[in-house]
Amino acid sequence: MITATFVLVFSAALFFFYIQVTCEKILRRQFDREYFQSVVTANRLEFPSLRKSLEEFGVPVDYPRLRMMLKCDFLALTYLLKNSANVKQRYSNEERLLILYCRWQFLSLAARHLLKFGEEPATLRLASVLQYFANVVGQRVNTMQFGNWTAADFLFYL
Amino acid sequence: MGSNLVQYILQDSGIFIEASLVVYLAWTGRWKGQGAVAFYLSSLVVAQLTRACFLHEYGLKSLRYYYAYWSTDLLLVMSAFGVVCLFFRRACLREEKMWRLIRLFLVFLSVLVAAILGVSLSLNRHDFFTYFLVVFNQKLYFGCLVLNTLLYLMLHRMNSADDQLELLVCGVGIQFAGPAASLALVQLSNGGRFAEFLAYQTIPLCTFGMLLVWAYVIVYVPKTAGGLARRDVPLPAVAAEESKL
Repeated sequence: MITATFVLVFSAALFFFYIQVTCEKILRRQFDREYFQSVVTANRLEFPSLRKSLEEFGVPVDYPRLRMMLKCDFLALTYLLKNSANVKQRYSNEERLLILYCRWQFLSLAARHLLKFGEEPATLRLASVLQYFANVVGQRVNTMQFGNWTAADFLFYL
Repeated sequence: MGSNLVQYILQDSGIFIEASLVVYLAWTGRWKGQGAVAFYLSSLVVAQLTRACFLHEYGLKSLRYYYAYWSTDLLLVMSAFGVVCLFFRRACLREEKMWRLIRLFLVFLSVLVAAILGVSLSLNRHDFFTYFLVVFNQKLYFGCLVLNTLLYLMLHRMNSADDQLELLVCGVGIQFAGPAASLALVQLSNGGRFAEFLAYQTIPLCTFGMLLVWAYVIVYVPKTAGGLARRDVPLPAVAAEESKL
């Protein structure tokens, strides 16, 4: 009985640990440049400023506003992931996994808010997933729109 | 009917992904250096095909499917143990001294598992399928999970640059942790209906998760040349500045 309980608790904990590590490994993928900046500016996304205020100044944001900002960014970016410069108009498996991870983090954020414990790490994790999504969208748009054209070529044919 | 449908879908999509990965590995000639992956995928294909045949022939609630399921599960747990051993070998490709120690430990562990299997088999010959196999598989899954976690910690401590191996190990972790937890729940609830239903759904789902992670690794993550290399430790800022001067 005790052994089975120990196995259950330990295995369940490790299950979530491995899922978390896998998602974080995927998020650590390096992009050749910071594509997310243009997507953030064009769509007025708020997660970078939120992250900056948390990381640099430690300024707390009230929870309903924080949740609303992240949720709106998440909805905008998942829409862009599916529809912007995506010929198949489908998420890839990797994106599906990260969307699930994002939803899990939203739940975790709500639970942490109720328990008044460690909201900041969950918020930062959500921001890093959103940044990854913005990078993917930016990279896709960049590859699709311009192909081998340089900016000068593009302007010349306008 | 609903659970049957879910089981069929999981089973068939699992076989599809496994077969696709095997074909992809063969087609692109990536068998080299991915022996462990190929080995486990092949045993998964064999086990899943056997299960699928029994499932389609006799149905989810038949005794024959039950026997086939747990017998193939034993085969899978044994192969999983082999995969973890092969991953240890890959992690210690440049650390021969460490590999000698780990090899000794793994051989000792294999002998121990075989001895436990032999003794338990002689004691539980009558309820082989109803009790012994489920408990034995759960323990072996848990053993593999612990071994896999040790490997993950070792990679982390060695500061491994082999991103592929780290993600493969994470995939295996998902594959072991889910079944170990759900089988422990079955044991705790004394074979309760809900726990058994959960185990039946969790095990293929975890395999599915592992396959997705492995597919991502094989297709997208480049292999580090020469197996394990340590990540270069960045120079401290002051030292870097001095070297410029």
